[in-house]
Amino acid sequence: MAGKRIKKELIDFQIDPPAGCSAGPVGDDIFHWQAMIQGPPDSPYDGGAFKLSVHFPTDYPFKPPKIAFTTKIYHPNINSNGNICLDILRSQWSPALTVSKVLLSITSLLTDPNPDDPLVPEIARAYKTDRCLYNKSAHDWTLKYAS
Amino acid sequence: MAVLYLQAFVFIILLGKLMRKIFFGQLRAAEMEHLIEKSWYAVTETCLAFTVFRDDFSPRFVAMFTLLLFLKCFHWLAEDRVDYMERSPVISFLFHTRVLSLLVGLGAVDLYFINHAYYSTLLRGASVQLVFGFEYAILLTVVLMTFFKYLLHSVDLQSENPWEGKAVYLLYTELFMGLIRVILYVLFMFIMIKVHTFPLFAVRPMYLAMRAFKKALHDVIMSRRAIRNMNTLYPDATAEDLASSDNVCIICREEMDTNCKKLPCNHIFHTSCLRTWFQRQQTCPTCRMDVLRLPRPQPPTPPPAQPAQPPMPPNMFQGFQYGWLPNQQPQPEVPPGQSSTASSTAPTTSTTNTPLSSPPSPPFLPPMMPPSPFMPFMYPQPPSSMSGLSIDELHTMEGEERSNIEARIQWLRDIQSLLDGAMLLIHQYNTVATQCSMPGVRIPNPSNTSHSNNNTSQQTDTKNTADVTLNSGSLGGARPKTTSLSNNTKQSSSPVKTEKLGDLSNLGATGFTVTKEEIIPEWHDPRKEEEEEDLHEVRKRRLQKFSSTEGTKADNIDLD
Repeated sequence: MAGKRIKKELIDFQIDPPAGCSAGPVGDDIFHWQAMIQGPPDSPYDGGAFKLSVHFPTDYPFKPPKIAFTTKIYHPNINSNGNICLDILRSQWSPALTVSKVLLSITSLLTDPNPDDPLVPEIARAYKTDRCLYNKSAHDWTLKYAS
Repeated sequence: MAVLYLQAFVFIILLGKLMRKIFFGQLRAAEMEHLIEKSWYAVTETCLAFTVFRDDFSPRFVAMFTLLLFLKCFHWLAEDRVDYMERSPVISFLFHTRVLSLLVGLGAVDLYFINHAYYSTLLRGASVQLVFGFEYAILLTVVLMTFFKYLLHSVDLQSENPWEGKAVYLLYTELFMGLIRVILYVLFMFIMIKVHTFPLFAVRPMYLAMRAFKKALHDVIMSRRAIRNMNTLYPDATAEDLASSDNVCIICREEMDTNCKKLPCNHIFHTSCLRTWFQRQQTCPTCRMDVLRLPRPQPPTPPPAQPAQPPMPPNMFQGFQYGWLPNQQPQPEVPPGQSSTASSTAPTTSTTNTPLSSPPSPPFLPPMMPPSPFMPFMYPQPPSSMSGLSIDELHTMEGEERSNIEARIQWLRDIQSLLDGAMLLIHQYNTVATQCSMPGVRIPNPSNTSHSNNNTSQQTDTKNTADVTLNSGSLGGARPKTTSLSNNTKQSSSPVKTEKLGDLSNLGATGFTVTKEEIIPEWHDPRKEEEEEDLHEVRKRRLQKFSSTEGTKADNIDLD
């Protein structure tokens, strides 16, 4: 069941990829994908290309895929291990969601961080109190690691 | 000494690598990650365990702990490997051989060490072997669980189509193993606290085990509820439904043709997909509506007379009292042609009695027969949440509630027989009283007016007759409804004191009928008007007292 659905998703993804995203399996393991997100133009991550790893659980789509950034990124909801704090990847997962929808959500998370539920409190504080510093750091990191 | 330790350590690592090569081949990245993460915790806990047993500290002891860690790693790897089975497209023969031999080997080692720990504890008293025995017992549950998963996956792989039952088996296995683990941890905690000190190193795994068990239990309960809802309440999707939507199950992205269910939010899914999802969460995959907390699928088209059904209270006299209520309310609203039906079905007691007391029914009563089988399972439903149920749902509910209802009906019958017995007693008392020209207890029921109509209508109707007449006639007409209620309550309470006279409802009922017929002629004759007035007063006061307590209760229910 899981393999079938993932294959279908891959076909759909290739037919109609979401803006600024690309994804595909690593080697012939259909349960392990690599994805790429372009930094959204209206954000300090503009110009960066961020890589993510996507691991599908065996009971996908009943459990969410495990998605993590493999590129370092300065963001209040993404920690140094690349773990993403996003509700639809945890409790709010639904089988109606797809990788492409999740990647879109992550893109919008880059544009609009959620500092009230931070994974990295320091960055959240910077985002809240000193937006210029945050923008600069995020841009620096993007230049350093993601381009 | 240090050199010896180091040598042993290196040897162990080499051995580990060799074993890994034999049983697993190349480790995958995820497996390595898990291994490192888990061994970090395990090493910490082992160090904590050292502090508890620092008196026993010896090379042998360290070796035992290292071996334990070593074996633990292999358990984890085996677990991961079996999980991997589900996602890898091709499972080679080599894989099966490796996993099977590994599981058998680990199981045997665990059993040996448990055995060893058990005997050494028996022979030499509680020592560190207690910890080892316990740890290996936990590991044994891991092996069993992994083996069961392996079996399930193997069976699943044999067949072309996905096996729907697998998830259910997994759920229950997890629940069972979780229970065993929790029991083991609690037992271990208990023994350790008694023998040594508080085992700090076991707290984290114990907490994890308890949480896992709680989650498994919760999952099982909620999923069972949701799946039962799905099977009984939600309609199968019709062809039109499928045609009107885009016809793809959003869960598996396959076409839907048969075996589809429509949720109350009008979203359609494969039954099997929905079942698997409900085993994890009980929401609609599309709109996240909680299927366990939603209004019923068919919003209020309540069957007539249902909204008036009050909850069946536990107390039997209250229950008796409430039984009267709902039907008194609609009585005036009933169209004239059916009024006899409504009124005759009013008391559940009499309805249930109908088949027992079988005197010929008067011509205008027959309509009372059909509702009687219907009443018993409509009667005790809690009103608020159930009001929207359709007949089918009632049937499904009836299955569960049947025994309760039967018990209630039995109660009601008992109450009626007690009541009838009491009437008999009162009548006898009255007869004696009139003979001695003393003021007797006045009986409200055998009322002057309505009885003549009902001469032939027998005890099935008695309660109701009493009700009607009380309201309309003999007691001054203006009396509120609750008065008649409390009156009945009063009557019903008397037989309790006077013991069960009429044991069979039939017997009691017959007695009651006799009462009615005999008492009428002699009722007014021996009394003077003033005496009757006094009695009226006494009665009124007494009734008011009752109605102030019971009546308020009854009124509250009326409002419902």
